[in-house]
Amino acid sequence: MSEMKQIKNLKQFSTSKERFQGGHRLCPGCSHSIIVREFVNATDDELCVSTATGCLEVCSTIYPYTSWDVSWIHIGFENAAAAISGVEAMHKSLKNNKKSFSDKPMKFIAFAGDGGTYDIGFQSLSGAAERGHDFIYVCLDNEGYMNTGGQRSSSTPIGGATTTSPAGKVSYGEKKLKKDMMQIMAAHGCEYVAQSAPSNWKDMVKKAQKSFAASGPVYINAVSPCPTEWKFDPSMSMEISKVMVESRVVPLYEIENGSKVTVNYKPKNHVPVEEYLGMQGRFKHLFKPSNKHVIEEWQKNVDAKWEYLLRREEAGI
Amino acid sequence: MEQNRIVWDGNMAASQAMRQAKIDVVAAYPITPSTPIVQNYSQFVADGDVDGEFVMVESEHSAMSACVGAASAGGRVATATSSQGYALMIEVLYQASGMRLPIVLNAVNRALAAPLNIHGDHSDMYLGRDAGWINMVANNPQEVYDLNLCAFKIAEDYSVRLPVAVNQDGFLVSHTTEALNYLPDDEAYKFIGDYKPHNPMLDPEKPVTYGAQTEGEWHYEHKMRHEHAMYNSFGVIEKVLAEYKELSGREYKFVETYQVDDAEEIIICMGSVAGTTQLAVDKLRAEGKKVGLVSVRLWRPFPKEELAKYLGKTKTITVLDRSAPLGSTGALYNEVAAVMVDNGYNAVLLNYVYGLGGRDMTIDHLTEIFNSAKECSDAGKRVKPLIQTINLRGKELSFY
Amino acid sequence: MTEEHLLKGWEEFEPGATLFSFEGKPDQEVHHENNSVQHSVADWRVDKPVHNKEFCIDCQFCWVYCPDTSIIPDVDDKGKGIFGHIDYKHCKGCGICVDVCPTNPKSLLMFADHLPVEEALRQWPEKEEKK
Ligand code: SF4
Ligand code: SF4
Repeated sequence: MSEMKQIKNLKQFSTSKERFQGGHRLCPGCSHSIIVREFVNATDDELCVSTATGCLEVCSTIYPYTSWDVSWIHIGFENAAAAISGVEAMHKSLKNNKKSFSDKPMKFIAFAGDGGTYDIGFQSLSGAAERGHDFIYVCLDNEGYMNTGGQRSSSTPIGGATTTSPAGKVSYGEKKLKKDMMQIMAAHGCEYVAQSAPSNWKDMVKKAQKSFAASGPVYINAVSPCPTEWKFDPSMSMEISKVMVESRVVPLYEIENGSKVTVNYKPKNHVPVEEYLGMQGRFKHLFKPSNKHVIEEWQKNVDAKWEYLLRREEAGI
Repeated sequence: MEQNRIVWDGNMAASQAMRQAKIDVVAAYPITPSTPIVQNYSQFVADGDVDGEFVMVESEHSAMSACVGAASAGGRVATATSSQGYALMIEVLYQASGMRLPIVLNAVNRALAAPLNIHGDHSDMYLGRDAGWINMVANNPQEVYDLNLCAFKIAEDYSVRLPVAVNQDGFLVSHTTEALNYLPDDEAYKFIGDYKPHNPMLDPEKPVTYGAQTEGEWHYEHKMRHEHAMYNSFGVIEKVLAEYKELSGREYKFVETYQVDDAEEIIICMGSVAGTTQLAVDKLRAEGKKVGLVSVRLWRPFPKEELAKYLGKTKTITVLDRSAPLGSTGALYNEVAAVMVDNGYNAVLLNYVYGLGGRDMTIDHLTEIFNSAKECSDAGKRVKPLIQTINLRGKELSFY
Repeated sequence: MTEEHLLKGWEEFEPGATLFSFEGKPDQEVHHENNSVQHSVADWRVDKPVHNKEFCIDCQFCWVYCPDTSIIPDVDDKGKGIFGHIDYKHCKGCGICVDVCPTNPKSLLMFADHLPVEEALRQWPEKEEKK
């Protein structure tokens, strides 16, 4: 069994050995690497990481450079979960047969964007979760296919303008609500399912550590504000992330053993969704009078979801 | 070497060889006609006959993905598939070879839909032709067993480090029981040897990145390194087959020949049809006809030089392709034609597309093919269509 | 830009295009020539952050939220992480560190990349009155 790393505050956390190096080619202000650092630096255990094709993969391992100080593999877009399940199975096999390369505790993480999670990698994730591999799946959710120029995914929220759900004379952009991956992964019976935002490092690190302590499959939905395709200034990534949390667009919550809901943070002040939407170019068109109803619908959905989570938390189911 | 005699079908032969290889991770998904391999292996797990992990994944794509993950992690890995499953794997087959991972795949060959068909032909094997795997072809259960043991040893050799597919015909080999000889467990394992890890992800003393993106300045060099390894493997394959002969008494060559020395008409083929062709050769030889057979054992890397040795003196060569080329001559034909041109040989060349979806190919059919070739030999030129069909209902169909 | 010395011939590359993080054992902390820490992305930057230690409270927000691992911490004599320096080889000038810095005036501010640090410090603003 591995010891949980002590991280009480940033003064302590910042003495960590860095496991994800600079010199990668992610856009300035990208939240992906912030999430990755909060996650992989939250343990001293050895790590094997798989990553789905996408911004993180492309930008962190463009030959001849790797940004990873831990073992890492990328196979394709749709199979980050299957890949890490193979690595984990080999670890188990070698351990059971006393052929391990090392006795050090070893953890297994898959990072994938929402495209590689909600869409093309969904089957692979579902399979690996159902099989119960000891792995942590972290979705870096920036609500679209940003690596290929900002196309819609099933994580793109209603009203969002992407290059394949553009706003136009007769369209307000994306028509569908965002898919609820949290519930889907909880329904798989994952030991631990949680949503977090990078601007709340404490929440992220706590959830990372809970993930490392779990022995079954873990799913983390980490919202990842994208300056390039959400269209905001790179310096604002953490501000956007904060407003997402404060406006309850992204509730910080967790689901344990498939059912037990805990809302980890309850914003004191009511921040309207409108404020969040107004910070990003991708929602600019919603502020035209003819599209006002979409903002109203947004607010209704956010309130209903929040209400639902609170009631489940209260009911303990 | 004292050996045991037993009756196995091709699937069981593959399964037993996998058991003896003490594989660390098998990740697999069942599909006809390779399903029994996955079932047999599940039974080995249930009976405690194997120690490794068995990952029953949710698709062939994930099967090969998990195999790639497991092999990069640092241990012996194998799987099995067929047809549509093979097609679903294809993306990851390229990844496995590009990352130079010594995975062994039992490919139980079957037709590709549409229309759907569960029986044997070589469409799936041809689909994987350019995927960068070493491909061997086993024509009966004995060969399936033997080539599986050799496959691990070849794949894992440091100077090769390439995945190997052992192909066998669906049903015709996979579900046909035959008496065969197999090695005692410890002898079989000793022959393969312990797995020799190379840059394992699981070694925390040397973190490694697999699957980086290589753009303009790098991709060509890496691909050519892979290409070089492919050609380099000829020597290792030859050595391993020689060692295996030493151990088992059974000899395997890149191309197998039968009655070719003075043959005027030669059939070149792959897979179980070689056995039937051999019988046809015997029959025709008894009638005084100078016919012979070349069966290609090593599909990739393709043994051009070895094949050339047998094609210089004959009059007519008929190449059998068990897959519809759909717009050109068959893949095996094209290889043979290239060897002829490269060596300045000028026998008449004919191509038959046969046996699709498990359609029978009998001694009579093969006799007909040899006779047709003989007409060309006698005329000293091609007097038959270039691409012909056999045992096909309807109006005679041929091309060119 | 690719560093010339990495442009090897096909026969010199590791089979399978693998890359290594370290030269030797990880605990020796010598990064491999193929680690991206060897690669400069400084030319991505238009403005650069400048640190003013006079106001810094060593909260380390800038360290945790820097997407480019470019706030390099130091450790004080009690073993606690404190602000160390900015790694201008990897900083892309996104400005997040400035945004998250909680002091008043800020201990990190953006300046034109060519402006000398001493000059930037001379231009540092006064404490802002809360409105
Ligand atoms: S400007 Fe951005 S990249 Fe540079 S140090 Fe600050 S947060 Fe890091
Ligand atoms: S965020 Fe500001 S106050 Fe905190 S350590 Fe960084 S520079 Fe100092």
